[in-house]
Amino acid sequence: MSALLRQARVLKLGGIIAVFAVALALPAISPDPATTNIAVFTMMYVGLATAWNIMGGYTGYISLGHAGFFGFGSYTLGLLLAHLGIAAGYTPFLLVPIAGLGTAVLAVAIGWFALRTRAATFVIVTIAFMFMLQLLAENLVGLTGGGGGLSFPVPPWGGDYFNTPYYYAMLALATLALAVSWRIRRSKFGLGLLAIRDDEDKALAVGVPTRAFKLTAFVVSAALVGMIGAVYGYYVTYIYPQFVVDPLIGISMVLMVFLGGLGTLSGPVLGALILEPTQLWLAYNFGATRLYLVLYAAVFLGVILLLPRGIVPSVMELIERRRARAGPSGSTPAKVAAR
Amino acid sequence: MRRRLISAGVAALGLTLAACGGSTTPTAPAAPITIGVSISQSGDFSGDGAALKQGYDLWADDINAKGGLQGHKVTMKYVDDASSTQQVVTNYQNLITVDKVALVFGPFSSLLTIPASTVVDRYGYAFPEPAGGGPQVFTRGLKSVFFVQPAAVEDNLVSYTKWLLSLPSGQRPASVAYATQDDPFTQPQVDKAKSLLEAAGVTTAYYHVYPAETTDFTPIALQVANSKADAVILGTQLPDAVAFAKTFIQQHYNPKTIIETTGPDQGSQFSDKLGANTEGIMVPAGWTPAATAYGNDKFVSEFIAKYGGKAADISADSAEAYSVGQVVDQAAAKAGSIDNTKLIATLHTGTYNTVQGPMSFDATGKPQGGVGVYIEQWQGGNAIFVYPSSVASAQPEYPKKNWQ
Amino acid sequence: MTLVLEAAVLGVLTGGVYALMASGLTLIFGVMRIINVGHGALVVLGAYLSFAASRSLGLDPFATLVITMPVMFMLGVLLQTVFIRPLKTDREALSVLVTYAIALGIEGLLGYFFTANYVQLHAWYDTASFPVGDFRVTYVYLFGFVLCLAILGAMFLFLYRTTFGASIRATMLNRTAAQLIGIDVDRVAAVAFGIGMATAAAGGVVFGITNAFNPGSHYDLISRLLTIIVLGGLGSLRGAVIAALIMLVSEDITSVVISPVWASFTFFVILVAVLIVRPQGLYGVRVRERL
Repeated sequence: MSALLRQARVLKLGGIIAVFAVALALPAISPDPATTNIAVFTMMYVGLATAWNIMGGYTGYISLGHAGFFGFGSYTLGLLLAHLGIAAGYTPFLLVPIAGLGTAVLAVAIGWFALRTRAATFVIVTIAFMFMLQLLAENLVGLTGGGGGLSFPVPPWGGDYFNTPYYYAMLALATLALAVSWRIRRSKFGLGLLAIRDDEDKALAVGVPTRAFKLTAFVVSAALVGMIGAVYGYYVTYIYPQFVVDPLIGISMVLMVFLGGLGTLSGPVLGALILEPTQLWLAYNFGATRLYLVLYAAVFLGVILLLPRGIVPSVMELIERRRARAGPSGSTPAKVAAR
Repeated sequence: MRRRLISAGVAALGLTLAACGGSTTPTAPAAPITIGVSISQSGDFSGDGAALKQGYDLWADDINAKGGLQGHKVTMKYVDDASSTQQVVTNYQNLITVDKVALVFGPFSSLLTIPASTVVDRYGYAFPEPAGGGPQVFTRGLKSVFFVQPAAVEDNLVSYTKWLLSLPSGQRPASVAYATQDDPFTQPQVDKAKSLLEAAGVTTAYYHVYPAETTDFTPIALQVANSKADAVILGTQLPDAVAFAKTFIQQHYNPKTIIETTGPDQGSQFSDKLGANTEGIMVPAGWTPAATAYGNDKFVSEFIAKYGGKAADISADSAEAYSVGQVVDQAAAKAGSIDNTKLIATLHTGTYNTVQGPMSFDATGKPQGGVGVYIEQWQGGNAIFVYPSSVASAQPEYPKKNWQ
Repeated sequence: MTLVLEAAVLGVLTGGVYALMASGLTLIFGVMRIINVGHGALVVLGAYLSFAASRSLGLDPFATLVITMPVMFMLGVLLQTVFIRPLKTDREALSVLVTYAIALGIEGLLGYFFTANYVQLHAWYDTASFPVGDFRVTYVYLFGFVLCLAILGAMFLFLYRTTFGASIRATMLNRTAAQLIGIDVDRVAAVAFGIGMATAAAGGVVFGITNAFNPGSHYDLISRLLTIIVLGGLGSLRGAVIAALIMLVSEDITSVVISPVWASFTFFVILVAVLIVRPQGLYGVRVRERL
């Protein structure tokens, strides 16, 4: 039995290393810009979904307003570059953590208010905060450029390799998000978060400092999203309030997490890897038919209705059932993993 | 990939060298080419996206009818950007590197043109675009963008202010109310008009900027009406252009003149909402169905033949898109090539004739010289040029008649 | 001063329309515990149906409601049965995604059939107004307001004076208990969704006659509707009505007194301010909500 477990662990580790190696080598394997462009956005969503899952998946607090943090991070970096007069190149990447820090500070303030509410009210409050940020970006013209948008400096790199630095930046952030998520899952803090998801009042009763825990998860999640937003802004080179604080970005990350499996480590990654390329591809190939939105909605509905719990938990359940048939023990680890 | 394109360009050059000039009939047909465009089929800009597509398609028909672009049969490839930055960036990379299109044309609005322009520039493509004229389009140091409209956006209302100031002092409006969306297209022109008029001693009765996502324009319109200004200058898109006019009608507010930056130039999309009350409303326009500019009568008649409707229904967006094709056709003829590097160099020099009139481009791609933007006014159910008199087909109706 | 008064009157009149749309949304939440982010799209769908009916049959926009409200009701029952009922786990979160997908689907279909051009409902009296003191009130707004009041009244009568209405209210209070006393909650849910959609049809007419709209117009609507129902307290009809009036009046007054730029912002500031004091909203019951 333990040999089997060890074997499974080795297999899992090997798998992770293999996936990571492929991710690292991707620009060398497939250097054409069309692929690396999709890779940049896909890796971006891997990071976003993983970061969102730290709050939404572990604590069960569904935020639909994370696009606000995404845009805030983006604006923070853009304004830093503009005011410090930093030229395009690799330096802006080094300033990304500052955007993360700024977003964290904002998230403390927003979280302090928003986390007074629960469930559906929380969902809508996060949407309200997102629109407030969007309006501020639009209205504080002196600071943000308002509806004129904000330009980033454009690096002089040629078209053939332009995307590569951005890809690695997104990969680094996605890896960071995954490492944080993994670390939290295995910590007492993570257990506390799961307890909040199961029953917040009971968690409080058994001594989990629920407010502090929820706020911490919220801030960590937001800071990661903010950093990813910063790299995004630098990549697309021009941001605009409604296009960067975009509810669609916020709902996309949520959908990816649900597709892959809420609260799992690998679910958000899987969800992003499937959904983002599909979406870009659908829009590119069927956009001109006007029915693209209908098609996308159909895929969307199909996924939710057929796999309401997400891919990873459903597959785990299947394996668990197989294993249960093979032998009476061994079901517990799978169940824990599927949470 | 780019190498192949250049060789295609060289081949075309060889073919056309013998018979230079715009209206050549090439001796042998060159390889067919694809021109890629990202347009908005859904989202905020989908209405304008559809109009752009009509204009581009019509140009492609025309160019193929006369033997192709430098002998190359043209196919248009459209992809949807859903009015999103992420998708527009993806689309132009795909068009250029996967579909290996020979040329790319611009999408709708400055908001999508700006991110797209850096992508296109990176690959050395020329980027003639019909709808991205906000200031930031020209301040990014790109050499490959060409804004195919008669004037940079901020100068759109200049001829209107000239006209107002040319009125006899007894009739000239004493006060003006301004309201504009906070949008890179609308606000710069309204601000410029305001500064010009204030410098000439015209009082500002009201000035307000409202967010682009405002849905209920009535309170703002009420304030404009309440200012009782003689003239109203509005930085609008279609929905607010209609909403302002409706509120003014409801409030029985009759200023001597009203101009709206966009909306009244959208043909039937504007008139079917206001009916006879379009009478007297003005709009700065680089194009009108009645204009005598290069190829315009042909454009209008073919447009009606292809899409139905009547001349007044044609959106200026379509004419602007069509102009992009005209400019590229002439530049290619002049360069004797459809190679992007040569097109870029060529487009920076010389003057190009379009259905919007002649235009040339400076180093940043801003339209230069030219006659600038005209004033169009709705009279008897049609939008017609009324100023300057060199192009006018009727006198401006002033003061505007009362609402019906 | 006149201007402020005028803005207040306008706020009340448009607030009535938002009250109607928001009460459908909050009813749906109350009965099913789902956040219907597709409600804005349903309003736009209603507006388009009226547009098509008034154009092809030459009907007055308000008269088209005789056709569109029943159609939308049936459609609501259908949508609920096919897409919402199968959701068993994580209802609140999944319903957001499902209804969002429905919104996208509706937007796509409307774009296909009607193109993305802006349209507006048209009636011969839509620019007519009458003077009240120093300002003028527009008939269309007044008609819309009266219509919304009438439908709201009918809805309240239905909920408070009929047996089926009582089962709806019972389900809103406690779904499990309602099930236990023999109420067919699935049927209640389907009917509630149908009513929600029928009110969206009515809201759509008024929206469509006072605004130019296209298939993408639902994004602007939904954020305001959601804010209204949270302010009022999720699931509270009374709350939705009062919150809609508060929101629209304060928005319009801000627009006049301060600046249109901050009008929408006021909307969200009020929400946050109220939630700091009352996290459950104005009329919400503080329940132990769970996901």
